[in-house]
Amino acid sequence: MLRQPQSWAPGLFFPLLLAAVYSSQFSKAVDIVGFPFQDVSFLDFVLPACVIQGVLFGSTNSASDLAADIENSFMDRLLVSPVSRASILLARLASAFMYGVVQAGILITIFLIFGANIAGGFPSIISIVLIAALLAVSIGSFGIAIALRTGSQEVVQSTFPLIFVAIFVSSAFFPVQLMEGWYGSIAQKNPLTWIIDPTRRMAIVGFSWKDLGQSLGIISAIASLGIGISIWQLRRRLVSAQ
Amino acid sequence: MENPIEAVDLSRAFGEIQAVDSINLSVSHGEVFGFLGPNGAGKSTAVRMLTTLLKPTSGSACVAGFDVVKKAPSVRKRIGVALQDAAIDPLMTGNELLRLQCVLHGLPKRSGEKRCKELLERVGLTLAGDRRVGAYSGGMRRRLDLALSLVHEPEVLFLDEPTTGLDPTSRMALWEEVRSLNQELGTTVFLTTQYLEEADQLAERIAIIDNGKIVREGSPISLKSAVGAPTLRIDVSEDSLEAARIVMTRFGEERPARRNRIAIGLDRGTPGITDVMKALEEDGLEVHHVELDEPSLDDVFADATGRRLEGGQA
Repeated sequence: MLRQPQSWAPGLFFPLLLAAVYSSQFSKAVDIVGFPFQDVSFLDFVLPACVIQGVLFGSTNSASDLAADIENSFMDRLLVSPVSRASILLARLASAFMYGVVQAGILITIFLIFGANIAGGFPSIISIVLIAALLAVSIGSFGIAIALRTGSQEVVQSTFPLIFVAIFVSSAFFPVQLMEGWYGSIAQKNPLTWIIDPTRRMAIVGFSWKDLGQSLGIISAIASLGIGISIWQLRRRLVSAQ
Repeated sequence: MENPIEAVDLSRAFGEIQAVDSINLSVSHGEVFGFLGPNGAGKSTAVRMLTTLLKPTSGSACVAGFDVVKKAPSVRKRIGVALQDAAIDPLMTGNELLRLQCVLHGLPKRSGEKRCKELLERVGLTLAGDRRVGAYSGGMRRRLDLALSLVHEPEVLFLDEPTTGLDPTSRMALWEEVRSLNQELGTTVFLTTQYLEEADQLAERIAIIDNGKIVREGSPISLKSAVGAPTLRIDVSEDSLEAARIVMTRFGEERPARRNRIAIGLDRGTPGITDVMKALEEDGLEVHHVELDEPSLDDVFADATGRRLEGGQA
């Protein structure tokens, strides 16, 4: 991490910058009629979304590193060693998880220093970190599948704007209850909304096993799909690679 | 005891392209075997199959006594591989990469550290061991790559174009290293190269591959002597080319040559050059340049394929 600060620093800097801008510009949004939470600051409202956003920004790192390994043939070195094929994939997913834990931990600490409040206390903080890190693994697994398919860092990094758009067309920075038209309709159907909403309730209302279960359930479904595609692509690469 | 490398009708196709076409290989213990061919001939594809990185389309191969498809993990434990593109992470130091390689091969920490130190010393990188690989020269990277492939003391070492892109001094240093490995440890070495000199210098036996097929196989000496006569090359003006060809082909069979040059295999050997020059003079043909070469591996390649390996000249 120390040798490549450019790979994780943007994931910390941009969510903090956005949080600072939104908190100053939209601080009155919490007073709008129909806002789903009472007596909260906008900083409290955007905290879970900013943590998830930061971690997702970093989620392409593992996939990008894997693509670099394929590009410079380091992957071949791993493949001719006696380690199991599965461990090569698992190591990348574990690295995405660890990145996620560290980034989420740092972001929450900074938010708390600037006056954010997490009503659920320690169990909610742990839950938010866990959700963010596992979401990074599940979204990262699609990046890993793309890396295995294309072997190109550029292609992996080009998926980054999709993550950016997916976050914005969700309940991350504004409640879906107050959105209208097609935008609100897409945001309601966006799986990120189904993850962010229960996570936010744990931050603002308090810890709940039901909310934790809902978030982790959706993340597990996304991860199963992403990891399944990654395994398929790894097998395909081992058979057909030139 | 079974040979460390055996391949029977080994083939690999990529769609319509037959990259490796029914090759048979048999490399014995402690041998340095050279696999010589131009770019795209199928050398790397063959190595990737022998090192379990690629499944053959048909045929079979055994390395270190194990089938490369059915017993791939057993093969991987016993082989060392230095691939063409020096597969090393530029952000890591030489020492870190060696330690990682020890972990990948399951070496205990203490013996792994000792082994890293020995190997860095062996390839002359002790002082550079704690520097990031990104700052290494091409020669240093290749030497580190060689060290990485040796951490687990492999029975068979595969070197895929180990000196491509290196300057002559680095190339010779690496040759020396391969020789001493083979002589001191008895490691069987399978070496692919596009450099004739490399194959000639290092390999006890070579196979020449072209368009996926092995076109010649044997020791460099036997292959060169099989080509027979030394090559006589003369340069003449374009106008005299046909007349000179008629004269020269009386003294030996024509061989591939570049523009405005005629090459023949001198049937009578080196002494025959006087007769050729006399005959050309009698016909009033002006010779601009003369070369006489004893057969080289390039001649062997040209004889087998009708093309030159180095630069397309003859």
